[in-house]
Amino acid sequence: MAELEERPFPPGEYPVVVVGSGPGGLQTSYFLRRLGIEHAVLSADKSAGGMFRQFPFFQRLLSWTKPFGHLDRHDRRYEWYDWNSLLAVEPENRAIMAELMDGSSSFPSRPEMEQNLATYAQRTGLQVRYGCRWESTRREGNGFALGTSDGEYRCRVAVFAVGVAEPWKPDTPGFEDVAHYVDTREAASYAGKRLFIAGKQNSGFELATGLLPWAQRIVLASPRPAKLSVNTHSLLGVRARYVQPVEDEVLGGGVFILNASIDRVERTVDGFRVHCLRSEGGTELTVEADEVIAATGFTSPLLDLPELGVSVFGQSRLPSMTNFWESAQVPGIYFAGTIGQGVPGMKKYGLPSNSGAVHGGRYNARIMVDHLARTHFGHRPERVQLPLDGLVDYLLEEVTHAPELWNQKSYLARAVSLDEQAGPYDDGIVPLAHFVDEEGPPAVAITVETDDKGSIHPAVYVRERGRPAVETLLDPHPLHDFRTPDHRRRLADLLKGATAGAVR
Amino acid sequence: MALSPQQLVDTLSGLTLFADLSRPQLEQVAHKMSEESFPEGQRILRQGFTGSGFYVILDGEVAIRIDGNEVARLAKGDFFGEMSVLLGEPPVADVVALRQLHALHLGGPELEGFLSEHPTVMFRMLKTVAMRLRNASRWRS
Amino acid sequence: MPISVDEKAAALASLPLFQGASDESLARLCNVTGEVEYSAGQFVVRQGQVGSGLYLIVSGAARVVSGSHELATLGPGDFFGELTVIDQQPRTASVQATQDTVCLAVASWDLLDLLKSDSALALNLIRGLAARVRSNAEHHRH
Repeated sequence: MAELEERPFPPGEYPVVVVGSGPGGLQTSYFLRRLGIEHAVLSADKSAGGMFRQFPFFQRLLSWTKPFGHLDRHDRRYEWYDWNSLLAVEPENRAIMAELMDGSSSFPSRPEMEQNLATYAQRTGLQVRYGCRWESTRREGNGFALGTSDGEYRCRVAVFAVGVAEPWKPDTPGFEDVAHYVDTREAASYAGKRLFIAGKQNSGFELATGLLPWAQRIVLASPRPAKLSVNTHSLLGVRARYVQPVEDEVLGGGVFILNASIDRVERTVDGFRVHCLRSEGGTELTVEADEVIAATGFTSPLLDLPELGVSVFGQSRLPSMTNFWESAQVPGIYFAGTIGQGVPGMKKYGLPSNSGAVHGGRYNARIMVDHLARTHFGHRPERVQLPLDGLVDYLLEEVTHAPELWNQKSYLARAVSLDEQAGPYDDGIVPLAHFVDEEGPPAVAITVETDDKGSIHPAVYVRERGRPAVETLLDPHPLHDFRTPDHRRRLADLLKGATAGAVR
Repeated sequence: MALSPQQLVDTLSGLTLFADLSRPQLEQVAHKMSEESFPEGQRILRQGFTGSGFYVILDGEVAIRIDGNEVARLAKGDFFGEMSVLLGEPPVADVVALRQLHALHLGGPELEGFLSEHPTVMFRMLKTVAMRLRNASRWRS
Repeated sequence: MPISVDEKAAALASLPLFQGASDESLARLCNVTGEVEYSAGQFVVRQGQVGSGLYLIVSGAARVVSGSHELATLGPGDFFGELTVIDQQPRTASVQATQDTVCLAVASWDLLDLLKSDSALALNLIRGLAARVRSNAEHHRH
């Protein structure tokens, strides 16, 4: 009985329903609570953690937490060193990941990450109805009705933080007999095997790295050459942690990395025969393997949302969203967590955002909740007035230290409106693509950007009344400290036109 | 509009730009370029901004606007962004989605290598750029 | 007055179309570039013809005519014909020598073969054309 009573959020009517208890769902719930917006959080899982309850297999994450940054862990700026903790306003609930690391690596282990999320949920008092599976969706009145394994939930706004974790395999003949990444077994069971991994993204390289000590031979194949993060200057590509197989290939050590598409997979008496077409020249190549694993990616399990009008795109079936992560077709449906990567933002030089990772998604969630509160619940955000003579210093301090700008380069920006009458007002952290496309009062936004040469520098977007924003790149600094006299002069010059009205 | 890889390759094979490519080559293109979706009204290229990329329209329609004035429209199979990428200069026009846009995207720094790997795509692109120029300078032809 | 190989290369390299092309590309281009003389009154290309080649005037003068309208006059350093080579559309104007004129000429099929096999040259040509489209767009702005 007691146990039943402890399950929060019985079916019924809530202003907002959040689906998912991974980082995206928890972070969304946290900020909804801060704004006092009543909501239910539903999760099909047994406990908090989302994908980190299972993945990655080989135990360590790709995102770092450096417990000994030069700043106090409870300082906002420390978030730059800690990619894995969720955000909190109360200092004691910040940087939880850093407390839990045992020092053996700057990359937390999977159980450490799971612990991090559970601790956050517990300390911040977040509640989740676990074991409640979202099954269907329909429109009802001005909102939605979500059918679940526990009954129906009605709401005005629904937030789906259901991840991009549904295994996906191409319809290549023979792939129906092939294991997916999620089916990977205990490493020791691959001892002495010839392994064929389809896919050259991080999941493929993670398996190859983890199975290097066990497999007899590893072949990785996909049509295009593998990209490495150290070459792309972004999280795009195989991360440094998983590059060992590349070195093995280069040195002829039993790993083969092929640029080829897979034509079909044939079962043999004791394994598989993989028929490939090489990308260069299109010649055929047959590879014998004991085991084939499809590290071919994941899709977003959006169930029947497309029937409501939510359009989805790409192999991962991500929803089409606005710059505030709201469905572009169905207002009132929002997305949080890794799904947020479907909003490309500026994508300068082709570099993606970090929205697919915790250190990007956590800021998106905060902005998304503010937007949801403003547009659907009439919340008026608190606006902080800034002294005009401190504006330049404030912006340069932000671009030097703001974790939002450093973790979401060219994607999130600090915006300040330059009202002629009232003087500057802080508009907070905003999606840059929204700022530069929006028409509005004179304003400035500053962000951190990188380019194809790997230079990291501030970018300033100044919007004068009635005109589109103008981009200006400031100089880089060898220690990324942009609070120099040169930067101040340059920024002050840029602001002259836009602040002309504000200087009385 | 979510396409399976098979459907995406089929769609690509129907676009003039990729008309000369073999199936493995089309698969490589599909792997190399990323799919993006933009809501109506969103700018995809921005006049005067650095770091722009190359786009091929899979579905939808865009307007090309210079200083806010529409000068052309592009639709399925058309591409844009190559001029500023290849010239290494910011776009001189905005490209704005007139309705939901589904496009393939290639980061600017990858375009040159991509074209060199696929000379037939480059030649098709050359033809299109020549056509664009033709209208403006008829006697030269 | 035969044109030396070096002069040919220098003349081609000076064309905006081939600016920045590598030495290798220019050498290949030189190999397929011929020298053609026209006497005053002779047509270099005629309206309606499918692109037969790219021409660069080395000396002399010519006029561009469409029907009975004179559209432009050309002199040393001017070039024409590159667009029809690329898209194989009929020429929309004729070019007639008004003095004895010497042109460098690259036959359509030679230039096409070269563009298809020399990606650096093709890329360079796209850049050249793009720059011209762009300067038209800039022009449009004012």
